[in-house]
Amino acid sequence: MKNKYSQERVQSIIESLGGLRPAAAPDFFYTRLKAKMQPEEEMKTFFILRPAFITAMLSVFLIVNIFSLAIIKKEQKQPASLQIDNPATIESFAKAYDLNAESVYE
Amino acid sequence: MTEQDLVFSLRQGEESAFRELVIQFQDKVFNTALGLLQHHTVAEDIAQEVFIQVFRSIQHFKSESLLSTWIYRITVTKSLDHLRSKKRKKRFGFLSNLWGDDNKPVYEPEDFNHPGVLQENKEDAAILFKMIATLPENQRTAFILNKVEELSYREIAAILNTTEPAVDSLLQRAKQNLRKKLNELPP
Repeated sequence: MKNKYSQERVQSIIESLGGLRPAAAPDFFYTRLKAKMQPEEEMKTFFILRPAFITAMLSVFLIVNIFSLAIIKKEQKQPASLQIDNPATIESFAKAYDLNAESVYE
Repeated sequence: MTEQDLVFSLRQGEESAFRELVIQFQDKVFNTALGLLQHHTVAEDIAQEVFIQVFRSIQHFKSESLLSTWIYRITVTKSLDHLRSKKRKKRFGFLSNLWGDDNKPVYEPEDFNHPGVLQENKEDAAILFKMIATLPENQRTAFILNKVEELSYREIAAILNTTEPAVDSLLQRAKQNLRKKLNELPP
C-alpha cells in the first residue's frame, strides 16, 4: 500500500496544533449550568410530595397497622391459662420468682 | 480570593464562591473536554457535569493536590467515561435498534475543527484530531493536555497520578503512534 503523505506532510500534521489558542467556554455557560442544577434541587425539595412516595408511605403505614392488629387479636384469642404462663407477662415473672405479696413481707 | 478561601467558601455552600470557581475554570474544563471529545455540544454538557460534580463532592476534596489538578482529573475522567459509554452504545447499537432505543443517532465526529487552530493549519489539524481519537486513552489524554491545554509535564503527571518521565514516555509513544497511523493511511 502506498503512503498518502510525504514525511514532510506527516511532520506538518503532527505539528499542526502549534500556536493553538485554547477554546473558550460558550456564552452564558454559568446561566445554563445553574439552569441544569435547578431541577435537581427542586426534585430534592418536592420529593416527599410526589404521588409515588406518598402512596408507598401510606402502603407501609397500612401494612404495619394491619400486622399489629392481627397480633393483638391473636393474643386476645388465647385462653387465660396460656396468657398467665406466657413468660413475657408480669404475672408469670412474679410467679416464677415467687414474688407475691406474702413472700415479700416474710 | 486564595484557593484555600475559595475551597472554604465552597464547603459553606456559598453561591458567589461557586460562581467564581466556574468563571475561573470554565475555559480550562471546556477546552480539555473539547480536545478529548471533539464535539462542542457534548463538551459543554460534560463541562457542566464536571462543575456539578465539583459542587457535590467539594467536601471530599483533600488539599493534598491543587484544586485545578482535581478539577482537571474530574474532567478527564468524565470525558473518558463518556467516550467509553459511546463505544459501548455503538457496540450494542444493533440490539438497541432491535428494541427501538428512541432511534437516537450515536454521533460520529466527521472533521472536527478546534476553534483555536490557526487558519493555515485547519486541514492538517482535522486529520490529526481524527488520528488522536484512535490513540490509547492514556496517550490521548497526555497528548491533549500537553498540546491543547499546554500543561507542563509536572501538571500532567499530577493529573494522571504518575511521574514526569512516565508522561514523557506517553507523549513519545503518542507521537510514534500518530506517525505510524499517518503513514498507514490509504492513498
